[in-house]
Amino acid sequence: MRIAGTERGAPFTLFVDGEEMAAFAGETIATAMLADGRAAMRRDRSGAPRGLFCNMGTCSECLVTLRGDGGARRVRACLTPAAPGLRVETGPAA
Amino acid sequence: MIDLAIIGGGPAGQAAAEQAAAAGLSVAVFDEQPRPGGQIARQPPAGFTVPDWLAGRAYAEVRAQLARFEGLGGVAWHGGTAVAGLAAGADGFRLTVVTPDGAERVAARRVLVAAGCYDLPVPLPGWTLPGVMSAGAAQAFVKSQRIVPGGRFVLAGTHPLMLVVAAQIVESGGVVAAVMFDQPLGRCVARALADPLTIVRHAGLFVDAAAARRVLARAGVPVRFGRPLAAVEGSEAVAAARFADGSIMACDRVALCYGFVPQADLPRQAGATVRWQAVAGGWATAHDAWMETDRPGLFVAGETTGVGGAAIALCEGRLAGIGIARSLGRLDDAAAAGLARATRRRHARLSGFARMLAAIADPAEVLARVPPADTILCRCEDVTHAEIDAVLATATAPNAVKLATRCGMGVCQGRMCEGALLRRIAAADGTAPGAAGGFTARFPARLVPIDLLCGLDDVSAEAVAD
Ligand code: FES
Repeated sequence: MRIAGTERGAPFTLFVDGEEMAAFAGETIATAMLADGRAAMRRDRSGAPRGLFCNMGTCSECLVTLRGDGGARRVRACLTPAAPGLRVETGPAA
Repeated sequence: MIDLAIIGGGPAGQAAAEQAAAAGLSVAVFDEQPRPGGQIARQPPAGFTVPDWLAGRAYAEVRAQLARFEGLGGVAWHGGTAVAGLAAGADGFRLTVVTPDGAERVAARRVLVAAGCYDLPVPLPGWTLPGVMSAGAAQAFVKSQRIVPGGRFVLAGTHPLMLVVAAQIVESGGVVAAVMFDQPLGRCVARALADPLTIVRHAGLFVDAAAARRVLARAGVPVRFGRPLAAVEGSEAVAAARFADGSIMACDRVALCYGFVPQADLPRQAGATVRWQAVAGGWATAHDAWMETDRPGLFVAGETTGVGGAAIALCEGRLAGIGIARSLGRLDDAAAAGLARATRRRHARLSGFARMLAAIADPAEVLARVPPADTILCRCEDVTHAEIDAVLATATAPNAVKLATRCGMGVCQGRMCEGALLRRIAAADGTAPGAAGGFTARFPARLVPIDLLCGLDDVSAEAVAD
């Protein structure tokens, strides 16, 4: 839930596992996902979902895959800014 | 080569930068967050407008420091930048710094590690379910990104900070099902009363805790004591918290708050002496009266030296900044001593309060409980307690257990599992946690895409060392 009374940056959309999701400039990927009700950010070896734990870059539980034209990159969702058109994946690491 | 590289833009790093800049040093500050503030004053993004941000009196001092820091000339701010490596060289230090766009080396005559702390990880059944987070994580979302990161929170742990976090969630429009202290209220009171003078000296902080409780009482949020969290339940995500007395509370978020441990990767990488913290564990970096470690030229301040809170961090940052100017010949001994005098007195006063808070929040009983065998201890590599215990029968050296089980080999570099593993080892061989050292600190201290490192000239040195 986005807290009322805060003025945010410009709205835009990005994609998580192919689904469109709203975000505001200044938000991290993790923020946009949690505000959208998406707590799972990666899968462990058994295939079980995992979510953000520390929200400060320390634990790497929030690793998501960013899919770009040049390939895929794993980033920490809690530190990485959301950006228009970004393609985020929460499945097993590519 | 710059005079001083500071790792961490929180109160300690800011205070040091202020002192060093006043003495005429060239200073660069590196932080993974885009803006200065540290976790205590983690700022909203530059494009956000937040009325009454951290308006409470408890934040007044760190906000004043932040305002001064942001007004400083001659200090280069490097936000969104991770420091992945720190190595001592012939005439200074070499940092490996990483941004999303690339990696580079930075040479500095002096280095200050003021990297703060993180929430003490406590393995328990279900703690890997999406929706379980540290209380610090939830609080940072409220302070900075301005979301309540879930629908219905249970806060569980031993640290009084839970009251503050719960109140901030409620005041932001979120729902807290309950705040559940592991320890009985009587133990908290007894430990506080053991040092009545400290209560009097720091009465303001107790007033803040009382204010948080009033917010929770108005919102009808129960605060309970003597209610250990036994497990988090759910299949794909958190559905409930289960307590040791068998009671179950429905929720979609569990925020854990058992205390804090220092970020110690970089001092350890650079070979500075560290000591296992008495109460919550974790490695505190040893230092002298000017905050210099036994690696000449490498200084530490704030939670890196042992968790003590923001007010102590401000003092230590100031001392480090003065000490660094002194070590570079910008201040003579008398001038440095004069500048530091009031800060030293204040530090001594604050230390009593930090000790009391640590005693109240003491997680020793929690850490002594052995979770069920299938509980994950190493979250990166999915290593369970059972797998660890099987190896402990034949090997108890941390690095040997790491090699045999992969515990600590993951991307977090052991930050989430090392303490739990060292406590298992200590239980197995009858020693104190940390007595036999910990994992060997490895490069990189932070996750770095390998293609970024390939651009560096001599990255093979680190690769070989690994
Ligand atoms: S949640 Fe810990 S690194 Fe992002």
